[in-house]
Amino acid sequence: MNRGRSKEAFHGILLILPTLIIIFGFIFFPVGYSIWLSFTNKHAISPTYDYIGFANYSKLFSENDFWFSLWRGAIFAAGTIFFQIVLGLVVALFLNQSFRGRGFVRGVTLFPYMLPTIVVILLWKWLLSATYGPVNFVLESLGIIHSPVVWLGEKWLMASTIMVGVWQFFPFVVISLLARLQTIDLVLYEAAKIDGANAWRRFIHVTMPQLQYVLFVVILLRTFFMFTKFDVPWLMATGGGLQELLQNLPVLAFRRTFGFFQAGEGAAISVILFIMLILLAIVYFRIYRKEAEV
Amino acid sequence: MILRKVSYKFSLYLCSAFLLIFCGIPLVWMLFTSLKPLGELLSYPPKIFGHYTLSNFKRLFTDTYFLIYLKNSVIVAGMTVILDIVIATFGAYSLTRYRYRGKELLANMTLFTYMFAPIMIIIPVYILLQDLKLTNSHLGIILAYTSISLPFTLWLLRAFFQSFPAHLEEAAFIDGASRFQSLMYVVIPEALPGIIATSVFAFVVVWNDYLFARILLSNPTMKTMPVGLQDIFESTIVDWGLLMSGSMIVTIPAIIFFLVVQRFLIEGWGMGAMKG
Repeated sequence: MNRGRSKEAFHGILLILPTLIIIFGFIFFPVGYSIWLSFTNKHAISPTYDYIGFANYSKLFSENDFWFSLWRGAIFAAGTIFFQIVLGLVVALFLNQSFRGRGFVRGVTLFPYMLPTIVVILLWKWLLSATYGPVNFVLESLGIIHSPVVWLGEKWLMASTIMVGVWQFFPFVVISLLARLQTIDLVLYEAAKIDGANAWRRFIHVTMPQLQYVLFVVILLRTFFMFTKFDVPWLMATGGGLQELLQNLPVLAFRRTFGFFQAGEGAAISVILFIMLILLAIVYFRIYRKEAEV
Repeated sequence: MILRKVSYKFSLYLCSAFLLIFCGIPLVWMLFTSLKPLGELLSYPPKIFGHYTLSNFKRLFTDTYFLIYLKNSVIVAGMTVILDIVIATFGAYSLTRYRYRGKELLANMTLFTYMFAPIMIIIPVYILLQDLKLTNSHLGIILAYTSISLPFTLWLLRAFFQSFPAHLEEAAFIDGASRFQSLMYVVIPEALPGIIATSVFAFVVVWNDYLFARILLSNPTMKTMPVGLQDIFESTIVDWGLLMSGSMIVTIPAIIFFLVVQRFLIEGWGMGAMKG
């Protein structure tokens, strides 16, 4: 019996072995290597390098460029997270109602999330184009603005980018919340109704407690994804000469590594980002636990 | 009471209209732009009626590297999915049907990879692949893509295998089937819809990626479509007809994915598997 067991375990491990090789070889090992590189002056192409201790970190912490990127990245992340959660929650509640054509509206709503980022960015650059773009045309026709707004210029670039980020990613929030909403027992609502609760009170006392956990997970995931987002800020800023305005830490790491060939510095930036996100996750868990106790 | 009902209905229509405009109109505009001749696009106010033409697509195929990018994307995404699904099928089968120590830990560890920023992975992967002389090769990027898509394909397939009743397999064992035969002739056919949905999903994730392709492929003849399209944008700037026709083609797998798994998605399928 014992023998059969160990044979089974052996076969099981054999089957999972390719997965482990790939995940260790291409994720865990590189992450460890990245931490090591952050303590070196590794050049992106030439192979020799030296251990230099915390020099990359102290250099970064003394640079305005680093703090400015941290700040711009935080604005981008906070803005997109806040609006996609709010919009996603409202839309999920709405799409959970039953009405004719709901399937179609759901389908159209989820679609932006499926699009490649490059398509999202090119499409919105075209829509928001100052001279020929339909957005300015519509706003002008409605009398909301009186002269074309330069949406991709210095003044509006961050706001436009946040809007584009929300457009692309709020369907993620909708999908996740909708999945939970559909499993809430309708009896709970009936009971609340009998107790005389109006729609708002039913939302606060029935829907929200049920939704709490999923909402927490979604906010956590979105925080990770938005703080580590590279393609949206990078592609929104190309061609405009306004890179600094949208330069978050991933973009800074990319430029240091592949623009200035300072792979050690690039690795250090990505390690800082990682530690920051771990700390943020701990804060989230603390807040969530407190909320859940109340 | 009637007033309340009317206003409830009205607000439903209002929300529907908002969503259809906000999410749908940009996509319609993309299609429409791809079919308009250049002259008419650069007119203000935008002209909705007038000429429609396929000339943008024709220019895309003859004047740019687009067909090469398309071929590269198909090869890279296709090979990644094949590798990915084979590895993940064995892995998920092991996680659901075998008993050994540390199984849960392994499963959770793969999910833990979500914590790492793609940029944190790609810098060392670039250096490692360079040492192996695998930058600017499809093999290198296929391996890198397999690693980033494997965690969620593994979790999705595990969920499909878990929902699949064990007694069918037990019946096969009684009939004298080996584990391998049971996997091949009972489990995989039964889980096929799930495997297909997962494959298409992995395909779209790889197909859409910009960052890895941007870093690992610099040779124009090796590039995949997202990077290629960005190159076309940078060299033409305002040729929106050309860019939108390219965008339409890049979007095709997303549309197919959508038609395949729309039902799953709308029912909130695989929430933990979403990435991006």
